[in-house]
Amino acid sequence: MSKKPEVVVLACQQALPETGPLVEALEGAGLRARAVPEPCSSKIEAFHLLRLLAVEADCVWVLACPEDACLLREGSRRLGKRLEHAREYLREIGLEPERLNLTRLSPGEPVDLTRLATDMADTARTLGLNPGCRGRGPKKEQPQ
Amino acid sequence: MIVGTRKPLAEIQGMVRGARRLLLAGCDTCVAECVAGGRKEVGELAAALMMAFRLSGQEVEIRETSVDRQCIHEFLLEVVEAAAGAEAVISLACGAGVQALAARLPETPVFPALNTQFIGETAERGLWLENCRGCGDCMLGLTGGICPISRCAKSLLNGPCGGAAGGLCEINKAKKFDPEVPCAWLQIYDRLSALGQLERLLELAPPKDWSQGEAGGPRRVLRPDQRP
Repeated sequence: MSKKPEVVVLACQQALPETGPLVEALEGAGLRARAVPEPCSSKIEAFHLLRLLAVEADCVWVLACPEDACLLREGSRRLGKRLEHAREYLREIGLEPERLNLTRLSPGEPVDLTRLATDMADTARTLGLNPGCRGRGPKKEQPQ
Repeated sequence: MIVGTRKPLAEIQGMVRGARRLLLAGCDTCVAECVAGGRKEVGELAAALMMAFRLSGQEVEIRETSVDRQCIHEFLLEVVEAAAGAEAVISLACGAGVQALAARLPETPVFPALNTQFIGETAERGLWLENCRGCGDCMLGLTGGICPISRCAKSLLNGPCGGAAGGLCEINKAKKFDPEVPCAWLQIYDRLSALGQLERLLELAPPKDWSQGEAGGPRRVLRPDQRP
């Protein structure tokens, strides 16, 4: 079993049209990474986030537009509430709510991918492997 | 519709302790509308339970299904099929749905994931209000379509109590409500006034037949014309 934490990024295509460089930066930082382009962050449901943590990810990161710049008006704001709802589940289970994260990026504006990848990598390393995830085992293991 | 809320995860886990193969069954009508037991909530609960069981050192196989109505037996055929091999079923339906499913699965324990709360309406996004007690002797025709049994804190039938103030029920003084609970009888008065039917409040109503409600034992409706 790999000891590298895995980060799954759900990226609104308006906020971050190209996810390849971010995935490369995360892999360069010693993580496993996968990005899922989303037509809009409003399409992301709480069960998507929880399933990713249950079967694949140590950390899930949503990239969304600012609340007032969402393609679907209230989509980004409502996503924030659903993410908080999913975090409540994690608190109830006894997992760190920080395993679910949200960063808002303004569409069309340059993104500091190095800084974003560093934030994600620092969070994932601090949290370590997700003991609730399939294949990780019940005990928390520290990444190498 | 029937409004329900999810039980704490620990309680659900405790009910199914020892089972290694679970089926989670949602209901896509009432409890989906109140965001407690539809297919999305089945997905949330399944993922959360998987993680919770792993944290306690158990690997549990969890399958998911959801049907339009668990309270109608014809809809349950799909759930019965999906339950094959399951050691326990967790139903996210209301109490009626849980019992209908249990009747269809005599050899498999069926547990509720929700606490069934009341018959109500979606008043606003994320806000559900009780507005029917199922009393069996509806008096909405006299009260402008506003039910004093369910919406008055004291279920008064003859006008407001002395505690209402500023259009609000006195229960707001005892407990924090957001939004505050209005006085149902003021609402009834305003509604009938707007309809020009205030004289309805002067009609003498016969005593309410409480035997049609919970006081009369298990209730049933029998329609001979619909019987086989």
